Amino acid sequence: MTQLFAGLRRMTDAAAAAMLAALFGVFLVQIAARYILNVPMGWTVEVCLTLWLWLVFWGGAFCLRPSDHVRFDVLYLSVKRPTQRVFGAVAAFVIIVAFAISFLPTLDYVSFYKIKRSGTLGIRMHYVFSIYLLFMLAIMARYGQLLFRFLAGRPDVEGKVTAYERHDEGSIT
Amino acid sequence: MSAAFASALLVLAVMAAIGAPIAFAMVVSAIAYLLLSGQDVSLASEQFIQSVYDSFLLLAVPLFITAANIMNVGSISDRLLDFCKAAVGRFKGGMAQVDILVSLIFSGMSGSAVADAAGVGKISINMMLKTGHYTPGFAGAVVAASATVGPIIPPSIPMVLYALVSDSSIGYLFLGGVIPGLLMMMMLMAVTSWIAHRRNIPAEQPVPLRQLPGVTLRALPALMMPVILLAGIYGGATTPTEAAAVAALYALLVAGLWYRSLSFRSLYTVFLDSARSSASVGLVIGSALIFNYIVATENIPQSLAQLMASLHLSQGGFLAFTMVLFLALGCLLDATTIILVIIPLFLPTARALGIDPIHFGVVSVVNCMIGLITPPYGMLLFVVNGTTGIPIKDIVREGFPFLVALLAALTVLVFFPELVLWLPRRFGYEG
Repeated sequence: MTQLFAGLRRMTDAAAAAMLAALFGVFLVQIAARYILNVPMGWTVEVCLTLWLWLVFWGGAFCLRPSDHVRFDVLYLSVKRPTQRVFGAVAAFVIIVAFAISFLPTLDYVSFYKIKRSGTLGIRMHYVFSIYLLFMLAIMARYGQLLFRFLAGRPDVEGKVTAYERHDEGSIT
Repeated sequence: MSAAFASALLVLAVMAAIGAPIAFAMVVSAIAYLLLSGQDVSLASEQFIQSVYDSFLLLAVPLFITAANIMNVGSISDRLLDFCKAAVGRFKGGMAQVDILVSLIFSGMSGSAVADAAGVGKISINMMLKTGHYTPGFAGAVVAASATVGPIIPPSIPMVLYALVSDSSIGYLFLGGVIPGLLMMMMLMAVTSWIAHRRNIPAEQPVPLRQLPGVTLRALPALMMPVILLAGIYGGATTPTEAAAVAALYALLVAGLWYRSLSFRSLYTVFLDSARSSASVGLVIGSALIFNYIVATENIPQSLAQLMASLHLSQGGFLAFTMVLFLALGCLLDATTIILVIIPLFLPTARALGIDPIHFGVVSVVNCMIGLITPPYGMLLFVVNGTTGIPIKDIVREGFPFLVALLAALTVLVFFPELVLWLPRRFGYEG
């Protein structure tokens, strides 16, 4: 089971790295086309934006551990373990409920876009936006698992990571 | 402010305080707002998707992150350090001055303070500690303080975000950051020199002059990076977003082909790390923009503008007020959140008072960068602590003179807009 998850994890990571590499590559193609060949291409912009959208939500769904997010954890880290568990459980519960409430309306919103095709490549937009639905499902599953851990009183992973590991991703400033 | 909005703010504050990721805290509070005000809850998802998908400008973010990561993996940082050591190592407190200079050059290539502190900053802390003349707290403080300059000297991710919310030109914002960045550097070097004299920190063994050309040549491809980047943007050849891609490509070529310090394995790590940071940042940006949408539908910026107008604030009074507010918030909030959510609240008032948007943007970004070294929530403190193990309280204590110097620089920039606007005006800015 653990091995299966580790394998899946490597695949989702590789997919995210590939999306970023592709975004970078297509961007270079666009620059080369515009400045060297003098033929501006419309499809590159669309592909870049689609890759960026997918990268954000794919990465958010599968590649970021809860500890990778930008968080204000000064208070969280200053309270004792049992209180941290309560904090974590409340946060996870609220996130699950909020995502669950908005899931069906979002499904409606995304499916509505099947009538629209993208500007240059003609891809049906609900395919492009469907990544957000996957993201919502993954987040609900992720926080469901966390909630279970907190309620079962198992040690949370958070306590073991260093300040840098908590903050190395997600800051750009 | 409606009751729904007040409740949403409460939800946001509570969720953030108990340690939920900021992005999810904002999504949850947006959903709470929509529910309470009887609107369609899918609006939150719609805004989230559209704000990420619609902005071509935001593509600069993953590209700048990738460029910085490539430079940190290749031996570019080492070569720059050698060069800076040859240039300023001979002065009192030499290694600390070296770190400040290297941060300045590095900032001309990366748009991120964290990349600066985690990459080149970590190496220079080790170099300082190895000499035995610097306390760990001081070494950490120098690195954290000098990293704040990274996003002031172009390129700059925070300025891209400000351009997004304020509709100002990134090119002029970038140019507006050059003199302020140099001013901040000079202040930091002066403080370092003062402390070095007081503590009698010796200079480094001077690098013989005949070695100087060799060291410079080795660092030259790296030193050329800011030149290429800026010439591309201001020569009109590339847009700032394209410049970000060109910067990443250049870093890749220099590290991979010229210095031969990049393996396929490390390249994969660069892309994966950049993908993770981009996703995490993208979530914060997207969710902050949902929140912006709600703030806008509630007419908060306009109400705030009316309130401010009734106070009859002068330009100076308004700037002083906002700067103190942003600094206070900087102790608690992430810089991205301040730029995307808090600053837009004040833009209508700034406009009404006739404050130049480029000036306001640059000083606000300087302000937010100072917020990165103010406890309890100071990203650069966390990064230096995490990469080196130097306790945060030591960095904060030794960092106090640097904080004062940066605040002095901010005050000068706020009250002398010409320092920010002179350079953009030379390049045709009509503000």
